[in-house]
Amino acid sequence: MSKLHFLLCLIFFFAVACGGDNMEGEGPPETENNSFNRGEMLAFWADDIIIPAYSDHVEGLDILLESMNAFYANPSQSSLNDFRDAYLSSYQTWQQVSIFEIGKAEEIGLRNFMNIYPANEELIENNLNSQDFNLVLPSNFAAQGFPALDYLLYGIEDTDETIIQLLTSENGRVYTEALVNRIRDLNTEVLTDWNDGFRDEFVSNDGSSATASTDKLVNDFLFYYERFLRAAKVGIPAGKFSTNTEPSRVEGFYSMNFSKQLFQGGFSAVQDFFNGISFRTGRQGISLRQYLEHIHMTADTEVDLAAAINEQWQSAESQLVGVNNNFQEQILEDNPAMEALYYELQDAVVLLKVDMLQALNIQVDFVDADGD
Amino acid sequence: MANIKQLLLLFTIISVFASCSDDGTIIEPIDPVNELVNPTTYDFTRDGASTVSFTGQTERIGMATEMVNAMSNFESTPEQLLEMYTNQTASGGDANPFLDADLNASSKSIKSKVAASRDFFSTNNAESSQIKVEIERLILAQVTEVFPNQNELAAKGVAGQIADGSSARYVNGGGLEYNQAVAKSLIGALMVDQMLNNYLSPSVLDEGLNVENNDNGIVVEGQVYTNMEHKWDEAFGYIFGAPGTDFAQPLNTLGGDGFLNKYLSRVEGDNDFTGIASDIYEALKLGRAAIVAKDYDLRDEQAAIITDRVSEVVGVRAVFYLQQGKNALANGDFGGAFHDLSEGYGFVFSLRFLKDSNTGQALFAKSEVDGFIQQLTQGNGFWDIGATTLDQLSTDIASKFEFTVNQAGS
Repeated sequence: MSKLHFLLCLIFFFAVACGGDNMEGEGPPETENNSFNRGEMLAFWADDIIIPAYSDHVEGLDILLESMNAFYANPSQSSLNDFRDAYLSSYQTWQQVSIFEIGKAEEIGLRNFMNIYPANEELIENNLNSQDFNLVLPSNFAAQGFPALDYLLYGIEDTDETIIQLLTSENGRVYTEALVNRIRDLNTEVLTDWNDGFRDEFVSNDGSSATASTDKLVNDFLFYYERFLRAAKVGIPAGKFSTNTEPSRVEGFYSMNFSKQLFQGGFSAVQDFFNGISFRTGRQGISLRQYLEHIHMTADTEVDLAAAINEQWQSAESQLVGVNNNFQEQILEDNPAMEALYYELQDAVVLLKVDMLQALNIQVDFVDADGD
Repeated sequence: MANIKQLLLLFTIISVFASCSDDGTIIEPIDPVNELVNPTTYDFTRDGASTVSFTGQTERIGMATEMVNAMSNFESTPEQLLEMYTNQTASGGDANPFLDADLNASSKSIKSKVAASRDFFSTNNAESSQIKVEIERLILAQVTEVFPNQNELAAKGVAGQIADGSSARYVNGGGLEYNQAVAKSLIGALMVDQMLNNYLSPSVLDEGLNVENNDNGIVVEGQVYTNMEHKWDEAFGYIFGAPGTDFAQPLNTLGGDGFLNKYLSRVEGDNDFTGIASDIYEALKLGRAAIVAKDYDLRDEQAAIITDRVSEVVGVRAVFYLQQGKNALANGDFGGAFHDLSEGYGFVFSLRFLKDSNTGQALFAKSEVDGFIQQLTQGNGFWDIGATTLDQLSTDIASKFEFTVNQAGS
């Protein structure tokens, strides 16, 4: 049975491939959705969103490095403030690129090294005090990246004075510099890879299969939305995955007042990616929205899915307006408002993961973890 | 094929009915005193006192839980882990290796019941001790191979860490997580073997004067249960007796341990197998009621149902993890794949303890399971394994059951 099946599939693919060759002499085989130009969309994603967003992020990281160096050259409350500002800006620009865990970022597992929170305080202090640490190890994910910097810059000591003392101690300095350098180096490595050939590889891989760029990045986008935006930033601290709320698991826990801003950064990046808003020009190009609208028009489907998704996100944005800048405070004082935000985000998951993927004929390539 | 099978089945059923009517006699129950009472929950009493007891099973599940946890603690020594396995010192003295004082006070151990069933191992000492030693090897290799490389990145042939999502997994040079291998191997070697091949077997249930005593309501000295009742409960305990679970209504708290109960809950959660937990529970309950009613045929019919469905749980999870591992490898996710395959390794190891209820024989021969394990571990193990091998293994395993690779694999 299965051999016959396989043979039939082979013959089928062969026929389609040959047909494509004869008709066009180029490009992927034509299927119903493929009259939409995926290659053009990929080029827009790379040139107008991903690469500019990474460039902006890496510029921010250069400033972070400079302000750290300035702080060490002249430790003071004022240079600490500058260091913190640069840290917050680059944590913010990280939100622009976190979705795009593809290519070099996927290969090195960038997100694991940048933004696993809550930070592991004990591990950070052990690493710092022992000076015996290897940031390449998975066991050190929660001891580096932005959450660890958040702890060093805001949480490791009670007052700014003692924080400055700790940061400028020999051990403190070695660890802080190691963290900042690693954040900057890894992101720079990813950007360099985009500029040194991966862009073309990404754009030319314009077919429709599990390993094609569109299928992969759409999966990355969904994975980000479900796990890192909906769950990590909102659902987990609001207690949607546990018996009790977990306010200490908000993003930017130690800097306190930026968790909403960080969430908003990620949420805007999600919406801009979906709607094809150019990071360079702010104008609209070709992305998932246009793809869905194209299918809606040509296949004459009943529901305007792109509109439905945007409407759902508008509800989430409205819910977000009344939420405290400090998610931790919001959870402690009025968690139902936080839960409501979670539900608004959750309602879009079905539209994206079921309806959109079905329309685009893309298979989900990630599964829910086993949990052990 | 399926149609022919169904036709054959139908034919068989018809012929059975035909022979019955040919016979024409209705056998009266020998002892009409005990009418069958199937309670709504696993709740049996004699003179108002509960006769249900399986403390030894609860203790062993507790011991296995602590031992597997200790394998992930880099402070653990080989001596400590071995004491947890045997619940005695290396020289055979009294040991207190557990955090739970009740477990230390217990005279039971994990090792004494590994590959120790009456039906499979009472006349097969060689294989029994081989399996006991193999589990011991897996436990100790964690300390000797993996612990020294705690702060190394795993690579082909090199033990160490590998990322699975945002967590770190600790693997040997072939990508195997020993703690997963041990935990999942114990599901077969301890829980399933004791349950199916020991306590549910007539060779144990009917041993000595058990039938006579059960017929006459003679209880074990100092207890309120008959020996046969107790043996059946001990089978129940290995699947529904995890510490802290409500044994009267265990379906409400599925997933209460890290062993057979947990994976029953996982298979139950797969739409292709929904109802399996209730099937097993109901059969355990009815079989126990049948013992009270002295209806041993009904008891053995239930034992056969339990045997089939518990075996299915292990078979499904073996195929599931091999398929999940294959999918993760296809995505280049080595850490995720190794974790799945490590669990798969344990479930494959556990296949050896499954029973065919029709023949009473092992569903998988030793040579078959040894061959599977060999394919999983040869060369650089999971680093080298291919989709073809994993599919072949999955097909070989599924062919012994009624389910397909697709049904089990997702």
